[in-house]
Amino acid sequence: MANPSPLLDFDVAALSQKLRAKEISPVELTQAYLDRIEAVDERIISYITVTAEAARTMARAAEKEITAGRWRGPFHGVPIGLKDLCYTKGILTTGGSKILGEFVPNRDSTVWTRLSEAGAVLLGKLNLHEFAYGASTDNPHWGTCRNPYDLDRIPGGSSGGSGAAIVARTAAATIGTDTGGSIRIPAACCGCVGLKQTWSRVSRYGVMPLSDSLDHTGPITRTARDAALMLNVIAGYDPNDATSSREPVPDYTSRLGGDLKGMRVGVIRELNSGVSEPVARAFTAALKQLGALGAAVEEVSIPSFVEGSLVTMVVLMAEALEFHEHWIRERPGDYGADVRSLIETSMTITAVNYIRAQRERNLMLAEALAALQDHAVLLAPSQATAAPRIGDRSYDMIANMVRFTGPFNATGQPVVSIPTGLSGEGLPLSMQIIGKPFDELTVLHVADAYERARGPLPLPKI
Amino acid sequence: MANLTAKTAKAMARELYGYELSDESAEEVASAAGAMVTRARRLGNLDLSGVQPPFGYPTLLAEAERIRKRG
Repeated sequence: MANPSPLLDFDVAALSQKLRAKEISPVELTQAYLDRIEAVDERIISYITVTAEAARTMARAAEKEITAGRWRGPFHGVPIGLKDLCYTKGILTTGGSKILGEFVPNRDSTVWTRLSEAGAVLLGKLNLHEFAYGASTDNPHWGTCRNPYDLDRIPGGSSGGSGAAIVARTAAATIGTDTGGSIRIPAACCGCVGLKQTWSRVSRYGVMPLSDSLDHTGPITRTARDAALMLNVIAGYDPNDATSSREPVPDYTSRLGGDLKGMRVGVIRELNSGVSEPVARAFTAALKQLGALGAAVEEVSIPSFVEGSLVTMVVLMAEALEFHEHWIRERPGDYGADVRSLIETSMTITAVNYIRAQRERNLMLAEALAALQDHAVLLAPSQATAAPRIGDRSYDMIANMVRFTGPFNATGQPVVSIPTGLSGEGLPLSMQIIGKPFDELTVLHVADAYERARGPLPLPKI
Repeated sequence: MANLTAKTAKAMARELYGYELSDESAEEVASAAGAMVTRARRLGNLDLSGVQPPFGYPTLLAEAERIRKRG
């Protein structure tokens, strides 16, 4: 097997400079990614659909424009992947399901419209847990996506293909979605950066819903800077999505760089327990690193977060049932067993409990905002352990994963999951950096500072 | 029409709400609930695709801030 092209080593920030300077051709770059997909993706299964010819066409168009001096921005000519929950006009969009196994949308999602207008090249549609309703991406219809660090382990989910593609180098940047942790869990399992921005910051038009009031669409990337660059493209009000926010969109790269002197950061007590020894050790080391950067690291308490994942799951399951109700009645056998079980269980959630969970979200956010009065950001591990083995039915995803990520879907706060190191078994470990609503600038500033101080992590050998 | 029996109504009330319906109430509930469930199914026939529920994040933010200030 040929060695992977050195073009795959560049993150989006570096690529954008080289593409603009015409040191790299978008055509050459796209072909390098397509070659990589061909070389490794049979083992990883990060893609459901590879749009090779369309990608080459987009790359040629980008090359023509850049050569003529018409550079569109940092994503011009950059090869990306989209979670197969995001509509792409004329391109199969399955939702990771059998039920939509032949669905071809007649319109684009806004995230793709914006990335396309920014000149991005679409490599294909990425694998996911069926209908985004799970955290393993062990997909019975489109193939089991595997963790590039250990092919016997899950890449996390539901945006498992998006996370795996980043570290397997089958895409330069990807889009995922997050309803209970589905950007941050794969970012944590696969050792890359996952940004769940503030709810309503990015349009959800043309993205299949799981839970209307908890769904987010956002970047999974190699670095915090790349996440900021991607958010610059996709954030902002969308008239097609009435829930999208009219908050002004700043330049999310404007506060990158520098240290954390004078900053107070709060470790959430209720989420800093029940973790494995490697996670605890890596988290403690990360806190020390933040201290070395000048931050004052303190403990904060958010008591309502003890039941945070329960609140998220009640809302999530009730809203998901509303979306799936007619399919579960008509085609129950076409669901994977785990997703069918979740939908069936949802039938026991009462309207009263749903309303109470929605009310509790207010209390959770109030307590988080109180903690953020005196602290720039909050911190917590991303999950209790490193990635579990594929098919491990004894692994409790709620207790070990959603417990850490779910509360921030309920509060809608911006969160980035960022790697803190590798375990003794060579598996990625991560932490979450959580901010005030619409303060992605501070979250990304802290993530970027930590990442530069931490240094690069070894890539998986595939 | 949805055919709820008194037995089902009693089981749902007991198991979901910890509430014991009398036999007489259970008959009435079964009849009324059956009618309501049947009517509510019509909501499923409405074309609501792409229509968002009225959950506003600004409302969540405002209420959380009010609670925070209340202390």
